[in-house]
Amino acid sequence: MSGYDLVDIEVTHESADDLLDSLSEDGTDGSHLQSIQAVRLQAGQPDSELRSLKELDENAVKLLEHQVDAAYRALFEMDGKALLADEVGLGKTIEVGMILKEMHFRETDESVLILTPAQLAKQWQAELREKFGLDFVCNYDDEFEDFDAHNYIIASIDTAKSERHRQTVLDRDWDVLVLDEAHYVKNEETDRYDLIDRLSYNYAFFLTATPIQNELTDLYNVVSLLRPGLFGTRDVFHHYFVNSNQETLVNRDELQDRLNKVMIRNRREDTDIDFTDRTIDTRTFDPTPKERELYQAVSDYVKGAYSQDQGQKLVLMLLQKEVVSSPVALKKTIEKRLYDQSELTHADELESILDLIDEIDTVTKQERLLDIVEEARDNVEMGRVIVFTQFRATQQQILDRLASEGYTVHAFHGGHSSSEKEQIVEDFEEEGGILVSTDAMSEGRNLQFCNILVNLDLPWNPMRVEQRIGRVHRIGQKRDVFIFNMALKDTVEEYVLERLYHKIDLFQQSVGELSSILSRLEESGTSFEDEIFERLVAADSEVDLENDFDAMAVDLQEQRELADKLEEFNSGVFEGFDLGESDD
Amino acid sequence: MTDASISVTQSVVEQFTERYLRSIGCSIERSDDHWLVSVPDDIDTEITHGRHTLIRGEGTPDDDDDRTKRLHPESAFFQQLLREAGERSPSGKLSIESESDIESPEWIQNSSVEVQSAQFTPYYDRTAIVVLFRVGIETVSEYQQQLLRAVAVDTRSEESLPKLAETFLGTTTVESESATSGAVQLTKTDVRPLLETARELLLESVQGQLDDIHREASRAADSEVEEYRQMQQQRIQELQEEHSNLSSKINDLSEKINTGDEDSRVQALRERKELKSEYEELDETLNELQERRDSGFPNRQREIRERHSLDVQVTPLTLTEVEYERGEIDFELIDGSIHQTVTLGYGSGIGVADTVRCSSCERELTERNPLQTISDGLECQSCTKER
Repeated sequence: MSGYDLVDIEVTHESADDLLDSLSEDGTDGSHLQSIQAVRLQAGQPDSELRSLKELDENAVKLLEHQVDAAYRALFEMDGKALLADEVGLGKTIEVGMILKEMHFRETDESVLILTPAQLAKQWQAELREKFGLDFVCNYDDEFEDFDAHNYIIASIDTAKSERHRQTVLDRDWDVLVLDEAHYVKNEETDRYDLIDRLSYNYAFFLTATPIQNELTDLYNVVSLLRPGLFGTRDVFHHYFVNSNQETLVNRDELQDRLNKVMIRNRREDTDIDFTDRTIDTRTFDPTPKERELYQAVSDYVKGAYSQDQGQKLVLMLLQKEVVSSPVALKKTIEKRLYDQSELTHADELESILDLIDEIDTVTKQERLLDIVEEARDNVEMGRVIVFTQFRATQQQILDRLASEGYTVHAFHGGHSSSEKEQIVEDFEEEGGILVSTDAMSEGRNLQFCNILVNLDLPWNPMRVEQRIGRVHRIGQKRDVFIFNMALKDTVEEYVLERLYHKIDLFQQSVGELSSILSRLEESGTSFEDEIFERLVAADSEVDLENDFDAMAVDLQEQRELADKLEEFNSGVFEGFDLGESDD
Repeated sequence: MTDASISVTQSVVEQFTERYLRSIGCSIERSDDHWLVSVPDDIDTEITHGRHTLIRGEGTPDDDDDRTKRLHPESAFFQQLLREAGERSPSGKLSIESESDIESPEWIQNSSVEVQSAQFTPYYDRTAIVVLFRVGIETVSEYQQQLLRAVAVDTRSEESLPKLAETFLGTTTVESESATSGAVQLTKTDVRPLLETARELLLESVQGQLDDIHREASRAADSEVEEYRQMQQQRIQELQEEHSNLSSKINDLSEKINTGDEDSRVQALRERKELKSEYEELDETLNELQERRDSGFPNRQREIRERHSLDVQVTPLTLTEVEYERGEIDFELIDGSIHQTVTLGYGSGIGVADTVRCSSCERELTERNPLQTISDGLECQSCTKER
């Protein structure tokens, strides 16, 4: 670049008089050595080691070498401003967890703001709590008041930039800013970019597996938010690093040198991550005629009620989910609805649903569950199986049923204190048998000592499904993992399973891969659960419904392909880029 | 050249503090999380005399008072201790014994030929100085950088002894307890020219880093100049627009003057006069700006580049007279059944002092071109490969 010689270097030599005067002084034995040591220590970096590492609970999180390295470099070599750009699935969240833990340990984290796509906010909260013992308030929590009311906040970036909160967010000086899926701020003309650009913070960690989305200037924008001036002006970056067709980088060595100051990218092939196999066994069963009748009645009711009052969406969605979990779960909600709300329309319809529930004496899923646990009792170490359900009532019924068949059972739900939870997991490990858990477990412990998992019912949020699986299929699991999915034929569950989850190969995706698909989906303004529900109630016929779900599957498939392509593209761009620490 | 700084971990902090305090005459009673330190009245130190409690590790600064201090890498007490210890005895003497481990040269280490034995025979004592320099580099665009470098110079030949500097760093880590011996023999007059040489060597050794930072600073200055240029260009465009607006307004008024009645003519004349003077002013500003642009905004450029200039400050912090021995070393080499003895110039702490060449092709034996075989003299890897 031009102008290299136009900037002067001025060297000043400080006087050596004092040093020379000291030549004649007689020091005591060893005092000169101590002076040398003191001078060397004064010049040293204060303690560049991750001191909080030994505080971490080894059972809660197993750290990999590349993660520790990344956290170290981000903190100590990049002065706390770094773009963490590992390939998908290498644990960028863990890296940030370590960074935040270390900052907490050093008390440099009075206020921390983590901005994520909406669908991932709760996942972040759970992971930081569970693995690092860090408590954050999430903007979806009841206790969340505003951005000036808490010091450790996880929020969706869109909430933060909303008119209601934006000024509060900007008025504050944050110690630490974490930005997940940072590629969504690549466009400098968006509100999101503007928010991050105006935020005031001391340290910042941006995460993305695909720093480049469309064109190489995306990289310029993201990096310039973190380190303004690192690449000079936009024009300079363009002329110097990007060839005219926007597809390749030029002057790679120089770009690498500069990127090395701010970006860390680990590649899967350079790490020692190795997962065992997952086997998925999806079993669909014919419901009994009574069950089918009940399902139809509930679906009709939900459809009718929703067309009249869309404000009841949440509770209607709940009914639709409960009917495929167990009649007893459904019963509780309907009774509550009938007896708590005096001016309820369609009360007669609900009453007749209650009658239908009472008529059911065989619950198909529960009967079939016995086949699976029976098989496990004969073939698996201590017969350990985890059964997941979304509902406490279903959970209780299964527990009773299994106990009456002579199985050792354990219950796990959100109502336990954290020491109780620990005890339950310990008992399950020692005594074996069956652990029946609600999704409170997905934000809980690690159960890699068990390798069989049953989804008795299925959350409509793929992230939740993956969280369940993540309890057993994680680093440290030494055996292959078996996942059983249970569904009743011709129900919403079958659609979700067959048409959606299997289409995106959900059960084989890692959390990282899933995040990238879901956050792409969210980019297009859609929530997964809503999407499912809307299709369900809007369909006029069976054929309609099938087509609707197929269309959604195509969308998902597209998002997945796009995510894969982008990942590939970024690998291509950074290929041959040694973004590791240089040796000299 | 490696940096001479030592990273400051809690264990290093404690090790150094304990040794220093004891060496100046304090006593320490250690317990798990704190130490009780007694500082006798008669010792020369800035630490307050009497009894103190030192609490290990970090905590809130409020815990600090006259008698209770925190001990951790960033604590005020530890920093004070380092300052005091650093200034206590900045010059001294250290000797490197011939018994210290013999290091074979890299061209042997990297080869398959093995050293069966090595025998060093010292012939004479030599003296060198090792100076620890702090190099502060400051620019507006980069964080300030500080380097600490050790430079070793032989007192007689003034040759640079980088190996000796490395050995010096290896023997003055916080783990080493005693390595100094006796008073300095060299006088100020001896040292001055050596210090000059050391400064030159130092600047050579940090040239690479200076170049890097220089390049960054130049780039930052370039961007700023470019931004300024773009801003001015935009300003020129705005002025040009304004210029042409005024000009057409003046034309309109001239039209009015030619066609209107008396009253409006007078009014128009007055307005035109005002506008004309505004026009001239604008014209001048525009011309000036265009001229400055055409000559590349020299003043602004100079100002920006001056502001981005690198300020390098070199401060000698400690000076150590190092005694070492020079002589010859016999390496007995073995390759399968073949033995050969090589005699080379050697110094304690500086290693092999001679350059050795391949007996077949005369190329220098180095880390990258190591010894390949000893069957026919000392033959290098390159020439065996070429065969």
